[in-house]
Amino acid sequence: MGQDVASGVEPRADRETVIRNAMRSDPGMVRRHARQRFVSMLAGPVWVGFSVLVMRFYFRYRIADVKRVRATYRRIRAESKAPLLICANHLTMVDSFLIAWALGSGSYWLSHPDELPWNTPEQTNFGRTRLQRFLIFVAKCIPITRGGAREDVGGVLERVKYLVARGETACIFPEAGRSRSGRVEESAAAWGVGRIVGAVPGCRVLCVYIRGRAQSSFGVAPAAGDTLDVALACIEPKSDTRGVRRSRDLAAQIVRQLIRMEEEYFDARK
Amino acid sequence: MDRAEVMDRVVKILTPWVKDEAALAKVSMETNILEDLKVNSARLVDVVIAFEDDFDIEIADEDVDKVNTVGDAVNLISGKL
Repeated sequence: MGQDVASGVEPRADRETVIRNAMRSDPGMVRRHARQRFVSMLAGPVWVGFSVLVMRFYFRYRIADVKRVRATYRRIRAESKAPLLICANHLTMVDSFLIAWALGSGSYWLSHPDELPWNTPEQTNFGRTRLQRFLIFVAKCIPITRGGAREDVGGVLERVKYLVARGETACIFPEAGRSRSGRVEESAAAWGVGRIVGAVPGCRVLCVYIRGRAQSSFGVAPAAGDTLDVALACIEPKSDTRGVRRSRDLAAQIVRQLIRMEEEYFDARK
Repeated sequence: MDRAEVMDRVVKILTPWVKDEAALAKVSMETNILEDLKVNSARLVDVVIAFEDDFDIEIADEDVDKVNTVGDAVNLISGKL
């Protein structure tokens, strides 16, 4: 079910400009990022191991053809050192964990900690209590408030731009929230993802389509014991437009790729 | 173009995306576009592009981070005219 298109564009000097600009304009953000990255890495054996155990033995999830999915991911990684942003469809509140598990084993992530994607969960869902805030801090999460103050949302986007330019990875859901219809919704495409891709030169996007076989609509988590199918496609969105229009155009290209992958998923099951 | 005229055009552009029409009836410079008018945050980009087309200006991504209220939009647009 996989498909991938590689790009070898690596304008490193431009990416260093993105990093330098972030360090100059918001040194506090850079320090916070370094601190959280260090803590997450240090606690990795505990939270990564625990997450894998819960998915595998408590919920009894299975990734279909997981060896092929992981081999495809490693090949995409090996093909280019260009920045990579992961964009996926969004049906459950544990998609980020499932995607990371599909792309690499626990031991892979512990040996490649900077490849383990950062996430931007909704603050009101995951950041309500002090314990939740601590857990998401450790688990490489940068909470965001959908529809919140524009400067706060912009601050999160700036941080994701910075970390992607550094060669780390983030997993973003371009629809901003879970697909309420159970299908990828083009009309729900948020432009923030386009803003990140447009600001990081040479940024590739790894589109991930993930769906449990028992999953007919959106929910909290796939049913226990479900098998999840995963498809990957690596694209490099381009746009000749400028400003906000460019960000919307880039985001739309990513969402349309996810829609194509969804159509292939359902076509294969007819 | 004076600010009152910009304000009128901003409100007219916003209208199709507004979910709380009662809030629209008492709109002011302090009205929050997302919280008070209930414009969907994902659609803010369409609103901004409509501003660009209507006023024939270009708005950068970072400029949008400064727009929370109708007054912020009016100030941003007025500064580019």
